Amino acid sequence: MEGVLTGLVGGLAIVFTPMGFFYVALGTILGISVGAIPGLSGAMLIALTLPLTYYMPATDAIVLLIGMYVGSITGGLITATLLRMPGTPSNVMTTFDGYPMARAGKPGRALGLGIAASFAGGIISWWFLLLLAKPLSIWATRFGPFEYFTLILMAMVLIASVSQGSLIKGLIAGLLGMLVSMPGVDPSSGMPRLTFDTYHMNSGLKLLPVLIGVFAVSQIIADVLDIGRKIERVESTKSSIMIKAGDWVRHGGNMLRSGLIGTLVGILPGVGASIGSVIAYTTAKNVSKTPEQFGKGSEEGIVASETANNATVGGALIPLIAMGIPGSVIDAILIGALMIHSIQPGPTLFITNPDIVYAMIAACLIGNLVMLAVMTGSVNWVAKLAYIPRTFMLPVIIVCCVIGAFGLDNVMFDVWVMLIFGVIGFLLERARYPLGPFVIGFVLAPLMESKLRTGLMMTGGSITPIFTRPVAATFLAIAIILLVWPLVSEWRRRKAEAGTSAAG
Amino acid sequence: MRTTTTALFAGTALLAAGMSMATPAHAEWPEKPIRVIVPFGPGGTSDQVTRTFQIAIQENDILPQPINVLNVGGHYSVGARQVMEAEPDGYTFLTLHIALMGGEAGGMLDFGYRDFEPVATTGQFCLTPVVRKDSGFDTVDDLLAAAAAEPDSLLFGANLGAINHMAGIMLQNSEPDAEFRFVQIGGGTANFTALTGAQINASVLSAAEVINFTKLPDGSDNPEAQIKPLAYTGPERNPKLPDLPTMNELGRDVEFCVDSWWFAPKGTPAEAIEGFAAALEAAAQTEAVQTFYEERTFNPIFLAGDALAASLDETWERIEPVAKQAGQQ
Repeated sequence: MEGVLTGLVGGLAIVFTPMGFFYVALGTILGISVGAIPGLSGAMLIALTLPLTYYMPATDAIVLLIGMYVGSITGGLITATLLRMPGTPSNVMTTFDGYPMARAGKPGRALGLGIAASFAGGIISWWFLLLLAKPLSIWATRFGPFEYFTLILMAMVLIASVSQGSLIKGLIAGLLGMLVSMPGVDPSSGMPRLTFDTYHMNSGLKLLPVLIGVFAVSQIIADVLDIGRKIERVESTKSSIMIKAGDWVRHGGNMLRSGLIGTLVGILPGVGASIGSVIAYTTAKNVSKTPEQFGKGSEEGIVASETANNATVGGALIPLIAMGIPGSVIDAILIGALMIHSIQPGPTLFITNPDIVYAMIAACLIGNLVMLAVMTGSVNWVAKLAYIPRTFMLPVIIVCCVIGAFGLDNVMFDVWVMLIFGVIGFLLERARYPLGPFVIGFVLAPLMESKLRTGLMMTGGSITPIFTRPVAATFLAIAIILLVWPLVSEWRRRKAEAGTSAAG
Repeated sequence: MRTTTTALFAGTALLAAGMSMATPAHAEWPEKPIRVIVPFGPGGTSDQVTRTFQIAIQENDILPQPINVLNVGGHYSVGARQVMEAEPDGYTFLTLHIALMGGEAGGMLDFGYRDFEPVATTGQFCLTPVVRKDSGFDTVDDLLAAAAAEPDSLLFGANLGAINHMAGIMLQNSEPDAEFRFVQIGGGTANFTALTGAQINASVLSAAEVINFTKLPDGSDNPEAQIKPLAYTGPERNPKLPDLPTMNELGRDVEFCVDSWWFAPKGTPAEAIEGFAAALEAAAQTEAVQTFYEERTFNPIFLAGDALAASLDETWERIEPVAKQAGQQ
């Protein structure tokens, strides 16, 4: 405990040198800006920055990248709320309630809640990172393929509860998303499948181009079609953006719960922020007194999604620091950044480079504080983006989308994928097929497939462990309950109604 | 012999580079920036090798033109094909490793190393079979005896079709009747995680990974490590793992090291290939590259010209049957 304290003080001392603080702040601000531009993502910013950091001292490089990581997840909140274009996959859930709320004339309130929730999530997971990094990452290695499979299955079942409107259309959209994720190199055999003999399809349809297409490009098409419509200005954003003490009390339980969910999901390698926010969102909906508000501008929905996705950042850093295992795509890039500076992340990192470890932990804290200050200070101004005439906004956004789709892997094919999925997303929306389940199906299906097939390879084809392994069985039970519960409650409601009418 | 010819190359190239700087009107390779494509995302081993050489060449003014490294992410076949189809003007190069041969032999790619001009091999890393400390296996013989006694029961973590899968197959082939059950886990860290969590029985890791995961900074064993290495697949013992016997010492013909290869599109002028190979060889002598090799426990080999061509063909002969076997899994 004392070691943690001295370490943290040492880490803060590194971050609070003029250059250290400059890099954390710069990283966080760049991360927020990039996250707030539809089409550009934090992963891309970090991938593009990485080569530049090869020339910087190791601690500066790593605190810069961590600042970007923290900033980009939060920045995505802005466009998710104001334009219904999630900056990162993990902001998809925020669009469900943030955008309706902004449309209802309360963009400042929606952003204020999102910012507060992001900060709460960041700080909750930061405590786990500081105090429990080692035991938690050892716990995570016990997660075998069947545990992952049932966890993802549970998140998949939640598609049903996040889809708005027709349940059948939601499920169809989810299945379409799963189908679209299938082409590429088979995750379990290394052989190409459904690539139609075009070598570009060996990489499959990548997440970022599909996501930008389905959310940003489709929205641009829709906006262009009714370009004349004016957005009503209702809210005067003169009042303070900081949410009030009463809000912290009212949403405190939700923040704590969603922050815990986000942290624990973040620790699991390969399972990213999007699953954390899906699970936290649906949990919030299920325990809410006003579940019918979800999807129409619920404050609880924004809080749950934004707390959880920011909590996964700290969560994903836990196995990276304690074990050298990346918890997400961005963490894998961070590991590369450490190695290029001759620092090997792994179980001995605490022994070999305690200064780096605590600089990372301190950067995570300072990044969250900078994020809170910058977002709060600029949000009144940022919220006005919602009122800029779309004729000016849309050309800029589409240019950024093209850069974003191309820039991640430097392949033109990805730009075409993005444009085609823009049209697909637009058509799905017009036919009232919800986009949320489509994207969740697309993100989760490959993970679920590879975990299941790994599990089946281990057991020689037997599925029994999902019933016999306690954690897997628990997730499976929760999944079944989540699937059956709405039907049961509907049946009981009808029975009660029938009972009252019979009595009356 | 090999060293003298390549040293000669280096000398002439340096001379040529110096001359071209002095007389820019007289066009000599390189007269414009050089592009090196890494067919993987940033941060991986291939990216680190490429960028270490880029920095070494630039900081020591080995070439008069800058080198731009471009990461083409996604599946490595996309970036490799881009280079294969690029104009062979001497300004586009590719860095890749044995995955290229594995992909061709396994039927994944419809092209291979013969569709490129080989430029150089810069360093190699070798592998170590690993098991859990509490597995009861102390030697490779123990492990393979168990795999032969009960075939298809020991779980071997691999990325199917990739380097660690091929290494696992070579390992099992060295013992009659031995058979692992190969399970799709992924790369080095994923297998380390799965071994630590007792989800699999064995895997292979690179020597650098083994040192990182099992040794303390002073070189002694990390008591908290859950895994232990059994042998080393390099031609000689690794100086940082001196107690680890090589597979050859154990009487098993398993030598498996991953070379960093540099290629150019077919038809690239010899002047550019030799010039770039010479620049790479000069860079390999710099402190930056030597430190990198040392830290990542690479063997500091350098091959170019005929020696490289022979080495590629020899590797192909060894790898093709193994990769075919991997492709049939």
